[in-house]
Amino acid sequence: MNITPLGFLLISLTLYLAGAMASLLLPRREQLAIQASGVAGVLGGAAGLLAAWPTLLGGATQLFSADGPFPFAHFVVRLDPLAALMVFVISLLVLVCSLYSLAYVREYAGRGAWAMGIFTNIFVASMVALVVIDNAFYFLIFFEMMSLASYFLVIFDQDEEAVSAGFLYFLIAHAGSVLIMAAFFILYARSGSLDFESFRALHLTGPWASAVFLLAFFGFGAKAGMVPLHSWLPRAHPAAPSHASALMSGVMVKIGVFGIIKVGIDLLGATSSWWGMLVLAIGAVSAVLGVLYALAEKDLKRLLAYSTVENVGIILMGVGAGMIGIASHTPLLAAVGLLAGFYHLLNHAVFKGLLFLGAGSILYRTHTKDMDLLGGLATRMPWTAGAFLVGAMAICALPPLNGFVSEWFTYQALFSMGSASDLAVRLAGPVGMVMLAITGALAAACFVKAYGLSFSGLPRSAHADHAQEAPLPMVLAMLLLALAIVAFGVGAPLVTPVMAGVAASLVQGAVPAVAQGGSVFPGSAVQAVLSTPLLALLLLAVPVVPLLLVAGLKGVRLARRHAGDAWACGYAQEQAMTASSRGFVAQPLEAMFAPLYRLRELLDLVGPSKRGLQWSIDATARLEPVWDAKVVSRVVDLVQWLGGKVQWLQSGDFRIYCLYVVFTLVVLLLVVV
Amino acid sequence: MPSLDMLFLAILQALVLLAVAPLMTGVSRMIRARMHSRRGPGVLQDYRDVIKLLKRQDVAPGSAGVVFQLAPYVILSAMLMLAMALPVFTRQSPVGAVADLITFAYVFALARFFFALSGIDSGSSFAGIGASRELTLGVLVEPTMILSLVVVALVEGSTNLGSISASITGGYLQAPMAILLAMAAFAFTVFIEMGKLPFDMAEAEQELQEGPLTEYSGSSLAVLKLGLGLKKVVLAQFLIGVFLPFGNIEVLTGMTALVAAVVLPLKLLAIFVMAGIIENSMARGRFMLTSHVTWIGFGFAVLAFVFYLTGL
Repeated sequence: MNITPLGFLLISLTLYLAGAMASLLLPRREQLAIQASGVAGVLGGAAGLLAAWPTLLGGATQLFSADGPFPFAHFVVRLDPLAALMVFVISLLVLVCSLYSLAYVREYAGRGAWAMGIFTNIFVASMVALVVIDNAFYFLIFFEMMSLASYFLVIFDQDEEAVSAGFLYFLIAHAGSVLIMAAFFILYARSGSLDFESFRALHLTGPWASAVFLLAFFGFGAKAGMVPLHSWLPRAHPAAPSHASALMSGVMVKIGVFGIIKVGIDLLGATSSWWGMLVLAIGAVSAVLGVLYALAEKDLKRLLAYSTVENVGIILMGVGAGMIGIASHTPLLAAVGLLAGFYHLLNHAVFKGLLFLGAGSILYRTHTKDMDLLGGLATRMPWTAGAFLVGAMAICALPPLNGFVSEWFTYQALFSMGSASDLAVRLAGPVGMVMLAITGALAAACFVKAYGLSFSGLPRSAHADHAQEAPLPMVLAMLLLALAIVAFGVGAPLVTPVMAGVAASLVQGAVPAVAQGGSVFPGSAVQAVLSTPLLALLLLAVPVVPLLLVAGLKGVRLARRHAGDAWACGYAQEQAMTASSRGFVAQPLEAMFAPLYRLRELLDLVGPSKRGLQWSIDATARLEPVWDAKVVSRVVDLVQWLGGKVQWLQSGDFRIYCLYVVFTLVVLLLVVV
Repeated sequence: MPSLDMLFLAILQALVLLAVAPLMTGVSRMIRARMHSRRGPGVLQDYRDVIKLLKRQDVAPGSAGVVFQLAPYVILSAMLMLAMALPVFTRQSPVGAVADLITFAYVFALARFFFALSGIDSGSSFAGIGASRELTLGVLVEPTMILSLVVVALVEGSTNLGSISASITGGYLQAPMAILLAMAAFAFTVFIEMGKLPFDMAEAEQELQEGPLTEYSGSSLAVLKLGLGLKKVVLAQFLIGVFLPFGNIEVLTGMTALVAAVVLPLKLLAIFVMAGIIENSMARGRFMLTSHVTWIGFGFAVLAFVFYLTGL
């Protein structure tokens, strides 16, 4: 049987919708609903991977066009390399998260677990549809569906925090939608069609192009969670069920990045260099502030959500460098920058997905996300701990895992900017590298804290003490992602050319050479070379030396003893003395970076947005009587006055009424004649 | 893949650096002792320590996990790998495919990650505080390290350590001020990373940066001590290899090989003696004020970058 990529895409979407439908029909039999929705997700994800695969590997762009029910909007599907990458990332994570949900959602049995199946599947289906659609009207519809479905996932728990977080999310998501609509409207007004193809053909330049870009950048930026539009993210993502958090943090924020790339590069062609500089600057600030705030969290899932802000920043740094490259006609910089951004987009989906699933497993067994109440889980949940450690190492960009490769390319893109002719660009590149270095060091601190407080030491609550390993589907899902982390890292020489292909499709240039043999390089091997397979091989081989030393100089050594209290310099330890979320790392760094932490209050949109809403409610409440008094009641009075005046016509005498009829007929006849 | 000769050279230089590491740390100890008006244990004491520790039982607290057990090996392995990739005897790196300055920065981060995690994984409060400090110091040092190296890399047009080392002579002629300032900034970070006063005192373990050592004992402690000693030597060699590769082999002959073999220990010794003297003439500062001092180093790096931009 021969199925085209679009055929697989259709199968994938159908499966998601079937999963949603099955959940809808089985509210009484929740167990079955959970399984139906999970299995549909796994199969749909697999079909999505098959759909994306050929185009991603350099196949032709797939197009499908139909008139659709509306005369003003053509239903155009376009599976280009960028869309294929997004479909691949979404499908990969959906596959794993659906597998995870088979066990995880049982936690919600009796609390509407079936409804979760509906919303998750619609959420996923709308994301897949969104990235392949090539018409502004349908794009907005799917965007809205995605926002709404995820809103219901955020408020699923129905407690105060979830509802308030959901409200904030709803507000900011729609503020973003309005900006995006405005951007598309400007394009529509110029091109006269809602098709993206007509936007592309427009080649808009000048202030209108900048206006469209800024509207789209901040509109999609709100979805991506970049600073200063991030404050909803660390509240909304953790409130959702963990596999949905993984999808939101791993994939949904990437839709924001995708939108920025779509409008900025694909539709507008990134014509001005300052667009790229803006993206780079906001990316760098998001990266540093995101991880700095993550560090101060004690709620594991909020820590992860803040770190999403950081990673979106890193992706945007690569994208920004790429946009500068396009604007300044240096295709190599453009390709390497975008390559770095895309690679990190894929990587972040994988390791953040894994970390959220890990946090979900902890939540499943201990019923808490508060790291001060965890501890000692490494011995109780060894598989979860191992997978989480791999994820933590990857997110800290430790070699030879995948996060390292993409950050390495980001560094290289920024480094290439250092030899540009424009002084501002030459300045921006190395400054970006320094920001990335700070981010890296802070991320290491942050994830040592996350792993250390959750899995190391002694348990700090009875729940943590009684925890046991998560059920098999959950462990399997996490191990799959851990495997992907290693594969995308060590297999960089295979992955990088694919990413370069996607990047080149947007730059309209030849695909630059980025890999040869076992090494990757940023376009030119003179600038830098990296071989992750060799790195991995060396790191695995050199422990021979210490092992030989330990074995060779054994003497009369007794076997290792692993028991008893910690020595702690001879002091008796108290619970209060051991590491806590406040004391560990956070406290010295909070003191040293105090001004940046104060910024968080300023950047918080919760207060202002609530005040704004209250103000508009009050204003409406005041405006309503004004309208009544000034307009409505005047009209009513006038009508009543007229009515009073007209009343004498209706005396109630039948003969007078007949006279009226005769009189009217006479007048009409006179007029006609 | 590197050729067989190069692989042999890589292994050789890693083993040489590992072998001299206890000697260098021994020299540091002697300098400190003499400046304290003590006799000191002799420069070979660290060899005796390591050999003795290897014969002792490894005792780990019951709360410690797998990470605690693995960390000494990970740290020593990361450092051995860096020792293989550095330009030590030659101008070029024997395994150029991993000798990138960003790769180096992140392999150091790998060691730091496990060092800090081992501290918190031991479940001991002192080790936890030490881990926290180690990470904080990392945050303060990393930007300076990257920026100073980036300036040199920009001058040479490559982030590969071998390429930088091979063409640094030209760089000194091209942008002397920028490279000298970058060297000063990088030397500053090397000094901090070597665990020196006023940032740390390696022999007083409680609470301080080397706090994660608190719970280690026996063979694990020996491996960890070797790893940390090698880290110091690798850092010193990093400085030498990038900024002062003079005397290293450019064209292999018997004579150049001899020169390189003689020059290497002398240069290392000079770095360690200088670091030792500076360290012991300093007072210990409050940890929370460290960021005030690290700004100086960052200032040097920024200055180097400005000089690079203006073309000096």
